[in-house]
Amino acid sequence: MNGEPLVEFFRYSRSIYGGSDQLIGAAWDLLPVFVGAAIAFILLHAALSALAKRRARRVP
Amino acid sequence: MDEIASDNWQTASERAQRVMRHKPFDRLYHWFMAVCVIVLMATAFLPILGVKFEWLDIHWITGLVLTALILTHIVRALIFQDWRHMWIGFADLRELWRTAANLFGSRKEPPLPGKYDASQKLYHFVVAVVILAVVGSGLLMLLKIDTPLWNRNPYLLSADTWGVIYVIHGMAAMAIVAIFIVHLYFTLTPPGWYMLRAMIRGWISSKEYAQHYDAARWKP
Repeated sequence: MNGEPLVEFFRYSRSIYGGSDQLIGAAWDLLPVFVGAAIAFILLHAALSALAKRRARRVP
Repeated sequence: MDEIASDNWQTASERAQRVMRHKPFDRLYHWFMAVCVIVLMATAFLPILGVKFEWLDIHWITGLVLTALILTHIVRALIFQDWRHMWIGFADLRELWRTAANLFGSRKEPPLPGKYDASQKLYHFVVAVVILAVVGSGLLMLLKIDTPLWNRNPYLLSADTWGVIYVIHGMAAMAIVAIFIVHLYFTLTPPGWYMLRAMIRGWISSKEYAQHYDAARWKP
């Protein structure tokens, strides 16, 4: 809780000319976030599909 | 997975009742694209995950092959195929709504789609945007490396612009990993097996056609 963001979105490098940091790309820390989002989507879809199938079996 | 591998119900009359879903050219395109995407993901992310090897040449050459494949697909889809099969229209939005209603329990049966259902069209749209972003930014990034075909010229764009291009390439690449995982899920779980077989062998059975598709919306 020191005020730093949970996940960095971008990578920066110090410009050789001094001054502000230079944007150099997306932060690779985001890769597990993308993978996690895909897994969350799959789990949600699987759960909803299973519920829909159970309901369909119950209704004559 | 038996239904993918076997021809158990292969009587002559049943063979005659097969419905062509994907022509050989389209299947080849799909699998070549799959190989390219897997090679590109491996050469992009394995070095980041600590597996060190000479990845750059494999990456940019595979990227050029993917670019050629995509250009071929765009030309073929627009000129030689019916692009409306993939267009998201009002009927697809209604279908999405009814599919959601079925999933959440307020509708008994899921709706029957045309050749591609609304979620497949939506998936294709997302893939198209992400792939065009990664290919477009990747082609620009070729300006930063020497190859047998051209010399590098990194000063064509400002450092800030390069930063934005690298962000687009990285974000799109990570999105492709997520999209790939979701694609595997829909393909490798049982409801998707007949579509996997169709992407390997080209056809679905007439029974599957009647069961899964609205004949008014897709006439093979």
